[in-house]
Amino acid sequence: MKKLIGRVLLGISILASAACTKIDNYELPDASLEGNLVSSEGGNLLTSQGSTQIRLEQISWSATPSPQEIPSKFDGTFKDTKLFKGTYKVIPKGGAFWPIYDTARVEIGKGTKHDFVVTPYLLIKNFTATLAGTTLTLKYDIEAPIGAGLPTILETQPFINTTKLVGTGASIRDFSDVYKVSINKEWSDMTSADKSITIEVPDMLPGRKFFVRAGVRLNDSFKSYNFSDIIEINVPST
Amino acid sequence: MKSIHKFIIALSISAGASITSCQKLDIAPTNIFTPQIILGTEAGVNSMLATIYRALPIEDFKYRPDGGEDNNGIPHPGFNPLNPWMNFYHSGAVTGELVGPFGGMDIGGGFGYWPYANIRNVNILITELPKYAAQLTQPKVDALLGEAHFLRAYFYFALAKRYGGIPIIATVQDPGAPLSELQVHRDKEEATWDFIGAELDLGYQMMPDVNPAGRANKYVAAALKSRAMLYAGCIAKYGSVNYVDGEAKSLGYVGIPADKAQGYFTKAYDAAKLLEGHYSLYEKNADKVQNYVDLFLKSDSPENIFIKQYSIATNTAHSWDATMSPRYMTANALSRAYPTLELIQRWGTLPITNTDGTPKRFDNRADLMQGLEPRLLATVYFPGATLRGLTFDAQRGIYPSFSGTAASEVAKQPNSRSYVLAGDTKTLYQGKMVIGFTGLTTAADDAVSRTGFYVRKYIDYAKSTSEADLYKSQQPWIDMRYAEVLLNRAEADVELGNVGDALTCINQIRNRAGASQLGNVTIDDVRNERCKELAFENHYYWDLKRWRIADVVLNNARFKGLMPYYVFNENKYIFLAEPELFQRNYNFDKKFYYEPIPGGELGKNPNLYPNNPNY
Repeated sequence: MKKLIGRVLLGISILASAACTKIDNYELPDASLEGNLVSSEGGNLLTSQGSTQIRLEQISWSATPSPQEIPSKFDGTFKDTKLFKGTYKVIPKGGAFWPIYDTARVEIGKGTKHDFVVTPYLLIKNFTATLAGTTLTLKYDIEAPIGAGLPTILETQPFINTTKLVGTGASIRDFSDVYKVSINKEWSDMTSADKSITIEVPDMLPGRKFFVRAGVRLNDSFKSYNFSDIIEINVPST
Repeated sequence: MKSIHKFIIALSISAGASITSCQKLDIAPTNIFTPQIILGTEAGVNSMLATIYRALPIEDFKYRPDGGEDNNGIPHPGFNPLNPWMNFYHSGAVTGELVGPFGGMDIGGGFGYWPYANIRNVNILITELPKYAAQLTQPKVDALLGEAHFLRAYFYFALAKRYGGIPIIATVQDPGAPLSELQVHRDKEEATWDFIGAELDLGYQMMPDVNPAGRANKYVAAALKSRAMLYAGCIAKYGSVNYVDGEAKSLGYVGIPADKAQGYFTKAYDAAKLLEGHYSLYEKNADKVQNYVDLFLKSDSPENIFIKQYSIATNTAHSWDATMSPRYMTANALSRAYPTLELIQRWGTLPITNTDGTPKRFDNRADLMQGLEPRLLATVYFPGATLRGLTFDAQRGIYPSFSGTAASEVAKQPNSRSYVLAGDTKTLYQGKMVIGFTGLTTAADDAVSRTGFYVRKYIDYAKSTSEADLYKSQQPWIDMRYAEVLLNRAEADVELGNVGDALTCINQIRNRAGASQLGNVTIDDVRNERCKELAFENHYYWDLKRWRIADVVLNNARFKGLMPYYVFNENKYIFLAEPELFQRNYNFDKKFYYEPIPGGELGKNPNLYPNNPNY
């Protein structure tokens, strides 16, 4: 019996000595990349949910790495603090700006900062939102920094939500998509009247706060939108 | 002395062993089928073909365009050899033919279809068969080779329409070859479609005229060619206008130069024309509705070109009857996919509104069907239609009284409408059922219709309720039928400017459908006719893609149903066109015109890069 116990203990100690000898000695992904999508026309490029992303390909890991993406925030900034240190190809894509083809190579380590300058397809200027009773009137003009070769202008619409996060995929359909205005014209065929847009959104709910912006959609590879800034609207209670 | 003994013993053992061993072991294993056994007899070749046919990517009743799971929880088989019962996961349910279980455009990224193992089987056939001409006879070998070329084209067609250009592997790769040889580069999209066309030409030249049901003959190859070349022509013509920019595009892995379109359309026309006189539309019943219903159920149809068969005995039967009709009329399970009003309106606006805008009053729900095209009534079960002795009694609710126009009523907020709705069939209003057994409920339940309609195509009306059960449906899937070939031909005609021939083809189809004859056709007429004739046959998704209009049609789209209401004080029915009950959004990203090359394959073969644009 003692012999048996001894053997069992011996077996256990052999197994124990063989197990778990490897420690996960990989470093945490503690490199980070942050920066701005700077508009060539001043300020940051205004984006929305599901529009602009920063695509990263870690070429120091593989010649054909799986891409990963950092979605940009609504104010045109982006940040990812859980990246592996290394050399990356970095390119902003998916937004309504003239495509960038030459990818930047960035050494990403701790606290790496990198800004991109992009030329938006369109600018939404003179954006105003005024209330008359419960009817909200949006007025804005669209301008193109570069007119030649611009993708077809598809449509424009208001985006209205109850939070500051307002844009595509984050808006109230009955106040937003329903008031979509179809354009379907080339930039060169648009008259100055076409470029000055007025949209009325009736029956806003009294006593509620809304955040409003406008978007113009282009028929590029992403069917992306250029956005206006965001205006806060307080509908007075009746 | 002792050591000599030992030496002698050792020597004699080793000598004995070396002389007697390794003598007769070099024989063919008797428990393994050798190529001679499989390929040297017709039965053997048939058994190999059966395996290949079973894997053929036919988008039939069981096809799950999002991959899905099979019965054993293995994810993403797509083409389902393990036979799931949920036949309502239909590709039409992301495109607005139907609304169904998908939450939106859930199938755009594909399910990683990559059938190179099956293609290898075909390549083995094509390489090895010529060696067995003595046993099989040369004509037989040629016929089988033709069939193999057709099968290979079928697999490559399923790949090309998903990925664009893919590696064309036409030889049997040696697993021991250097990695650089095994990691084959992508071919250009144009080369891929040309390869498919050439394979189908070989199929047409080498196969006989007739075939056992479920197998290919020369006309099957021609029919598939008309389909494939039409796809290629459209990709050249429309894909060069509406595309996603990227490296794969600039290298030609996706996209075909626009000037090649005419050539492909001509090939599509030529291939379709080959079937003329060999197949014809099913017109055996003078009752046009019944005739159109029977076309999908009668095995003697001269319209069937290529079918896939099922049987209860071999556990391959499908569940279309049980899962496309409401539980009220079946023995088991539930339905989840329902035709939209948008599909029905391809036949024109339904006469539900008077000229003054008020909803037309009907004595009976079924009266709406009067005067509608027989093909429409045979494609969709309308409210008031009957199946297995039961009526499709879909009813959204009851209006105690109704005044005003349909448009103003539908525009109202739900809480300011004066109707009575209900979440179950037990709820009564003054003794009348508020909703029907077949819908339309306020409960968040899609086991009854969300639109008021049910699919009728392929439903076996002759089955009793108890036979309308899971895995009890054996009606074959018609993968290619003559009406599609006529539509392929008409579409190619219009693209080529032969409007006269297109008109002849379209009017043949319309005559059988019980529709009026047209005097002229445009591309929109031909496309609309195609959408009507081939509804629910898994064409519409690919048609929207190859016409490159999916991103326009499915731009945050929502679909409508037809809501029947009972007006209590008038004892009449009215119909209102309203959003389908789940009000889902359908949105097609441009990148979905091509699916991404599966990630696992990219990991194994870096030469598959660049991936398709925007993935």
